[in-house]
Amino acid sequence: MWEFMVRSLDASTIFTIAALSELIGQRSGILNVGVEGVMLFGATIGFMIAQTTGSYLLGFLAGIAIGGLIGLLHGFFSITLGSDQVVNGMGIWILGFGLTTYIGYPYTGPLGMERIPDINGLSPFFFVGIALIVIAWFVLTKTSLGLRIRSVGENPSVAEVSGINVTRTRYLSVITSGMLMGFAGAIYSLDYNPVWSNDFLMGWGFIALALVFFSMWHPFILLGGSILFGTLWQLSLNPQLVLPDVMSRYIWRTVPFAITIGVLVLMSTKWFAARWGAAKPQALGLPYEKE
Amino acid sequence: MKLGRYEVKFEKRVTLRGWEATIISIFAILFALLVFSLIFIRAGVNPLTGYKAIFSYAFASSYGLPLSINRFIFLLLCTYAFIIPMRAGLWNIGMAGQLYMGALSAFAVAYAFGAKASQNAVLPAGLVIPLMMVAAILGGAVVSAIAGFLKGRFNTNEIVVTMMINFITYWVVARLIKEGGLFMGASGEGDGFKLPESIYAPLIKGVPFTIFIALGLAVLLYFLFAKTKIGYQIKAYGLSPAAAKYAGISPFKIPLLVFIMGGLIAGLAGYHYFAAVPGLYRITKNYGEFGDLAFYGIICGLISQGEPLAAIPIALLFGGLTNGGRFAQGKLKLGFGIDYALLGVLMITLVAFQFFYRYKIVWVKTKKESSDVGIHG
Repeated sequence: MWEFMVRSLDASTIFTIAALSELIGQRSGILNVGVEGVMLFGATIGFMIAQTTGSYLLGFLAGIAIGGLIGLLHGFFSITLGSDQVVNGMGIWILGFGLTTYIGYPYTGPLGMERIPDINGLSPFFFVGIALIVIAWFVLTKTSLGLRIRSVGENPSVAEVSGINVTRTRYLSVITSGMLMGFAGAIYSLDYNPVWSNDFLMGWGFIALALVFFSMWHPFILLGGSILFGTLWQLSLNPQLVLPDVMSRYIWRTVPFAITIGVLVLMSTKWFAARWGAAKPQALGLPYEKE
Repeated sequence: MKLGRYEVKFEKRVTLRGWEATIISIFAILFALLVFSLIFIRAGVNPLTGYKAIFSYAFASSYGLPLSINRFIFLLLCTYAFIIPMRAGLWNIGMAGQLYMGALSAFAVAYAFGAKASQNAVLPAGLVIPLMMVAAILGGAVVSAIAGFLKGRFNTNEIVVTMMINFITYWVVARLIKEGGLFMGASGEGDGFKLPESIYAPLIKGVPFTIFIALGLAVLLYFLFAKTKIGYQIKAYGLSPAAAKYAGISPFKIPLLVFIMGGLIAGLAGYHYFAAVPGLYRITKNYGEFGDLAFYGIICGLISQGEPLAAIPIALLFGGLTNGGRFAQGKLKLGFGIDYALLGVLMITLVAFQFFYRYKIVWVKTKKESSDVGIHG
C-alpha cells in the first residue's frame, strides 16, 4: 500500500509540473492546448541526451531547453503573428506527437542507467514539484512580476497603458511555461518510467490541461487536483494492488479519462460558476494587437 | 524590411479569395515537403530519390495505388468528420475514438450474425453489410454526440472531451479484442476476429465501394454548406455563437448537430478501414495507428479551409504520401515513423502559414530620397 501511495505521488508530480506550466502561460493570457506535445519533446530529447551522454543532468537540461524552444515557437505564433492559439497549440501537439515518434524510435527500450535515488521511496521531484507550486503562487500573487503577468492575462490594453510591456511579459510566461512542460516530460522518461516507446504519454498532457480548468487558475487547488489524478492514474495502471478482480485492466485505464469529462462538465455548469465564481483570465486565448 | 528600392510589408487582408487560399495552401504543402527533406538528408538519402520512391509507389505502382486509394477514402471521411464541426468553429479531434466505436459497432453486428464462429459461414451479405454500416455510423455518432451535447448544453471544452473519448474508446477496443474479449480473434495474436468471406464489402476494380459514399458526401456537403439554411446556420454560429443566438439560431442544437454529423462520417471511416479494405477484414492489433492516421483529417481540413471539394485532392495526396512513406521507410531504411514525422512537419508548417491567410505581402517602391538617405547615412 505504501508502495502504491508513493507511486501515486510520483505520478502526481508529473501532473503537477505539467499543469502548473500551463497555468503560468494561461495566467498571461496564452492558451496552449499542446501540453502533451511539449511534454513528448521534453521526454524524448531528454531521454536521448541522457542515454547518449550518460548524464541525468544533461538529459534534464536538454528536456527543459527543448521545452523552452517550443514555448518560444508557440509564443511567436500566438503573440507576434497573433494567430489562433488553439490552432497553434494543436500544431505543437501534432508536431510533438509526429516528430518524436520518428526521432525517438531508434531509442526504443529501457534507459539503462542507474535509477535516480529516492527519498523513502519517493522521487525527489515530488519535493521539486511542491516547491515550484509555492514559488509560482508567491510570484503570481505577491510580486510585481506576478501582477504584470496577471494583468496582461486579464486586460492587455489596460496593462499596456499602465506601462507594462505586454509582448515581453507574455513571451516570458510562455517560455517559462514551455520549459516546465519539457521538464515534466523529462521527469516522466528519466525518472517515473525510464523506458522509451512511441507515443507513450497517452493522455498525461491533456489531463494536465483539464487540471488547469479544474484548478480555477490557483496553484494550490492545482496541487490538490494533481494528487487526486496522480492517484487515480496509478490506480488505473495497477488496480490489482488496491481493488483486485473488479474490472478488466483495460477498463480501468478508461477511468481517469471518464472522470476528467465528469469533472469538466461539473465545472462548466451555471451552478458551479455562480457558486464558485469564474477565475478564468479574461483575455485567455485572445491575441493582443497594439492600437 | 527593405530590398533595394522596394520595401516589403505585411498588410492585413480584408477578404481571402478562393484562388488566393489555394495558392497559399500549395505553398504551405511545398514548403513542408522542403522542410521534410531534412529528414531524408539526416538519414543519408537524397530527398529527390526519397520523394521519387514515395510518389512512384503511391501513385504509379499496381501494389501501391490501391493502398493509396484505401487511405484516401479513409482520410477523406476523417476530413469531413473534422470540417463539419470546424465550420461551426468547433474542434472535433475525436475522429479516432469515433472510428474505433464505428468499427466496434460494425463488428458487433457481424458477431450477432455469428460471424465469429466460422470463417466459412455463409451470411446474407445484402442484410448484414448494410446493417454493419448503419451500426458503424450510429456508433460513431453516439460517442461524438457526447462532445456536441456537452458543448451545447454546458459549453464544455470540446477539445478535451473528444480527446478523453479517444483514450476511453482506445481501451474499450483493447478490452474487446484482447485477452479473451468478446471480439478476440482465433489466432491469439491480439487481432480481433476475422469476418467471413461472405460479408466482405463489395469491391469495384479492387476498390471498396465506400469510395462512392465518400465522393457522394463531398457533393452533398458542398451543397449543404453552400445552399442550405442549415449550412448557413452552421457558418453563422461559427462566426459568432452570440450573434447567431440573436438571429434565432440555437446555441445548443448547432454544436450537437455538427458533432453528430461528424461522428456519423468518422464511424463510416471505421467501417471502411476495418471491414471493407482488402486484406484486413478485422480490427487489427495495431488499430491505434489508424486512429493516429485520422489526425491527418485535421491537416486536410485546415488546408482545404473547410471546403469539401478542395479536400479531395488533398486527401488523395496525403493518402499517397503516408502510404508511400511507409514503403520508402522500408526500402530506404529510414526507420519507423516516417509518416508520423511528415504529419508533424505538415501540421506545424500549416500553423505558420495561417499568417498568410490573414496578411498579404506587399511590395512598396520606396521614395528616391529615402533610399538615398539609406545609402549615404
